[in-house]
Amino acid sequence: MTRRTAITLALLLTIGSASPHAYLKLGAVVNGRVIAATWKQQPIGYFISERPGNGVTPMDLLAATQRATATWSGVPSANVRFAFQSMTSAPAEGIDGKTVLGFIDRPDLDRVLGATSFMIDTATGEIAEADIFFNSRFAFSVAPNGQADRVDLESVVLHELGHLLGLGHSAIGETERNSSGSRQVIGSGSVMFPIAMMAGATADRALQPDDIAGISDLYPAGQILDAGGIVGRVTKNGQGVMGAHVVAFNPETGILVGNFTLDTDGAFVIARLPSGPYILRVEPLDDAEPDSFFPGAIDTDFRVTYAPRMIVAPSGGSSPTIEIQVRPK
Amino acid sequence: MKSILAAALIAAAPMAAFAQEAPSLSLHRFTIGGGVVWSGGYDIGDQTAQLRGNGPGPSAQPFTLFTSESRLTSAISPDVRVVFAMTRQLTLEFGTSVRQPHISVAIDGDAEAPSQELPGEKLEQYLFEGGATWQVPLSIGDKRAPASISERLAPFVSGGITFLRQLHEDRTLAETGQIYHAGGGARYFLKGGHGSGRALGVRGEARVNFRRKGIDFENKTRIYPTLTLSVFVGL
Repeated sequence: MTRRTAITLALLLTIGSASPHAYLKLGAVVNGRVIAATWKQQPIGYFISERPGNGVTPMDLLAATQRATATWSGVPSANVRFAFQSMTSAPAEGIDGKTVLGFIDRPDLDRVLGATSFMIDTATGEIAEADIFFNSRFAFSVAPNGQADRVDLESVVLHELGHLLGLGHSAIGETERNSSGSRQVIGSGSVMFPIAMMAGATADRALQPDDIAGISDLYPAGQILDAGGIVGRVTKNGQGVMGAHVVAFNPETGILVGNFTLDTDGAFVIARLPSGPYILRVEPLDDAEPDSFFPGAIDTDFRVTYAPRMIVAPSGGSSPTIEIQVRPK
Repeated sequence: MKSILAAALIAAAPMAAFAQEAPSLSLHRFTIGGGVVWSGGYDIGDQTAQLRGNGPGPSAQPFTLFTSESRLTSAISPDVRVVFAMTRQLTLEFGTSVRQPHISVAIDGDAEAPSQELPGEKLEQYLFEGGATWQVPLSIGDKRAPASISERLAPFVSGGITFLRQLHEDRTLAETGQIYHAGGGARYFLKGGHGSGRALGVRGEARVNFRRKGIDFENKTRIYPTLTLSVFVGL
């Protein structure tokens, strides 16, 4: 019997704060172990819903999706392919054996631009189906240079396709609270940051190094000899820190790639980095709601800390384990 | 005609002093030396950790997460060299040195952390050098003294090239580069230097170095000084 479970996981790109559950990579529990949820069959076939959106047509969505799929497929260090199947009258939700992208009016989700849901085979971790809806409550745009007061559709599609491929949220970004109490992005280093840029912005049409490292880790294109990983632990008072955000910064190229400590030992891995020395910066997860990333409690009571020295991501391998000790606030 | 004659006399005078007084390494013989070299620190690049700003269109004013200023620290290391005297003035030198400077990193501009200097990563640097010295004539001695400075001191100018290999602290990544140097110094003969007996002395040298490639985050040519003090003995 095939054990397939519809994961009611909704990964949301939001305006302001929201509470989706995700990690950098989506995980499925297989035989007691968490493995990355990925597509095993490629190209990934998808349908476009015939429902129109707010200010855009289904054909606009198709064109934006084709540009966004080309962007993900264009990562040379990753093996990702998509194939458009056809337009469909099916909605972008529910379990129907089709992966559908389309507009749905969800006035109840007044800060959610779009969301991705999955059906994952819990025996293998394979993603069997995924749907992406874009919230018709928002006015979208496909103007080449963006359009004031309208959300750039291609940027949202690119983010949601990252989820569809198995990526969770990235925490490389800085936010501030606005007068209404919601978070506003002041800087972002990843398309997969959970909070969207302002209406009219089109910067998120381009993948960032953090996105490229993530997708290359999920779908590596052969053996990458000029990339390596950094492994380490974050500790506080001798104990591992859960949920610390670790960012690797290359002082030569300026790229930023992040990941989290994902267990109570405070262990982290930042994979698929271009080889070279990196500065490591550890920060508490305080620029988005922690439950945008983790379902359980994490430790945010520590100061931003830099590793005492640079550490090298070696070609084709991993660094020795580096320990970064943080102090309480 | 007079002016030409005067110039010739001026030019000949130091040569005469050199020939009579200045010591030199034994012709067509090897000399070995060992000592210490101090290598000055130098910057290896600044970088800014930037996030894309949030604004209309494809780009907005970027947000600076922090800045880093990296520097290779000064280091003192052993220095070994072999010298062959081609002529009384010209020597060929081959040297090697192993240095362990650090890459220090100054962090600034982080809104969530104070400015700080990270202790840094220890490097291992292997240097293999080839060069030449040209002994310059100089007469500064007090001829009343039986063993005047001029009879023991041999100043020189130097130049050469060094192959540089740098290993990061965990020995997982190596980078290579070249160093070109020009400088000068002097050999002070405690013994020998006048054609008989084995030479023994002290050598000091100051250099200006031009380093290309190697670990550098801006891929620039860097300039830094070195000072060497060593003992040499003729073979």
